[in-house]
Amino acid sequence: MNTNSNLYTVIYTTVIVVVVAAVLAIVSQSLKGRQEANEKADTISQMLTAAGFGTKAEFQAMGNAAVLDKYAEEIDKAFVVDVDGQKVADLPLDQVYSPSQLKKQNYNLKGADTPQLPVFVFKNGITVVPVYGAGLWGPVWGYIAFEPASNTIKGAYFDHESETAGLGAKIKDDPAFQASFSGEKVLFDQDDPFDIVKGGAPRDAEDKSLIDNKIDAITGATMTSQGLERAIETWLGAYAKYFLGAAPESCAPQGEACCCSGCEKDCCATCPCEKCCTSEDCTLSCGENCCSTQCGCCAEGCCETKTVEE
Amino acid sequence: MDAKLKETILNPIFKGNPITVLVLGICSSLAVTVTLKGALVMALSVIVVTGISSLILSLLRNTIPGRVRIIVQLVVVAMMVILVDQILKSFEATYAIDKQLSVYIGLIITNCIVMGRIEAFALGNKPWPSFLDGVANGAGYGMILLIVAFFRELLGSGTLFGVDVLGWLGYVPNNLVILPPFALILLGCIVWVQRAIQKDLQEK
Repeated sequence: MNTNSNLYTVIYTTVIVVVVAAVLAIVSQSLKGRQEANEKADTISQMLTAAGFGTKAEFQAMGNAAVLDKYAEEIDKAFVVDVDGQKVADLPLDQVYSPSQLKKQNYNLKGADTPQLPVFVFKNGITVVPVYGAGLWGPVWGYIAFEPASNTIKGAYFDHESETAGLGAKIKDDPAFQASFSGEKVLFDQDDPFDIVKGGAPRDAEDKSLIDNKIDAITGATMTSQGLERAIETWLGAYAKYFLGAAPESCAPQGEACCCSGCEKDCCATCPCEKCCTSEDCTLSCGENCCSTQCGCCAEGCCETKTVEE
Repeated sequence: MDAKLKETILNPIFKGNPITVLVLGICSSLAVTVTLKGALVMALSVIVVTGISSLILSLLRNTIPGRVRIIVQLVVVAMMVILVDQILKSFEATYAIDKQLSVYIGLIITNCIVMGRIEAFALGNKPWPSFLDGVANGAGYGMILLIVAFFRELLGSGTLFGVDVLGWLGYVPNNLVILPPFALILLGCIVWVQRAIQKDLQEK
């Protein structure tokens, strides 16, 4: 048989490409479930790391099942908000937003469709939101955790697909970079809510601490730092109305009682305890709905008081 | 085992090592040798890819049209690389390491060792020797990877396979070791040692 004829060559290449494509399609389909489970556990461990429940290495050592258990134990609620800060829908507690889903929402933020911005609130009040954007070589993303009802960052974890090892990859690998987010404030009411400053962020004149919303960029990774800053500004900018709405000032008008006597669920959870429920309120209304899970802020203090009285 | 087959297996490990003698696959050996675990997974992946693609292409060797043989080789190698990547992503134990190796698993396809052995050996030999040749070349590559990674992880992080071994000495990790240039220096040293032992490699 003449293996060099045109017809043979065309048929041969067609057959081999179809066979290879079929093999890859079958393998890809059959492994998809496992891969998604791995990605989900990885995403969850990143969120837990940001929220300060442990380090990424610890979660990695725990294994997928233990990470999912830990998350189920700590998560209070998850929901989707729109750019006006209004809650659109509840999310099932076992659903997280992996990078591929964030990518879709990132397109939506640029105007493709209505963005669905996920918010994850843990039982200790810490709120975690994702960010996503373009680094130098590929996407960068991360999860930023905020102190309860505050614009103060509790912690952050970032990841990337293919930033340069030793330079841009430091957004993930350098613990000092991620730690520099802790305690920073995001100024949601300003046009420029957060800055990653090349060449050193301005410092406080006295104690040399970082100024509210500015941190140092990574040396030698200008493009990655800028990409990450854009990702943070785009996403946190979209969350601005949610966070401004959740801030103590806007909750206060509804009165202190809002937390302690059958108020809106949302208001209670996002109000800091000191503002919404004085210990007196708690004692008075305890037993009604103060100690229910929906009124997280009063739960501990008032229940103790009640037990003592009895 | 006959002498020729033995030579096929042993030659790539030392005398004709793909990295230190043929100087192929340098790029990935600089990139993935920061930790032993990464190097081990990379080495195993390359062994699987070179071995099985050599086997498949050796089986097909008499049917492949000469004009498109490189493309056919590429298709088969690409399939193997994607399969390895997909499988690594599917297991809990290897998921994190696959993420760490990121593009370098995909870049096995551009590793000259794979195409080089197929073109030079598999297309002219029977399947079984071709398979052994592929595996042996992958192993020769992997061996150098592990040697480099051993020193880089030990000196760069003070650990071996993630276990702290130098901590009790108060060792401060050397950041230069983590960066790719040090891997090149180390590779140079390995080539030096090999040439000192193996005199016939020395130019007159």
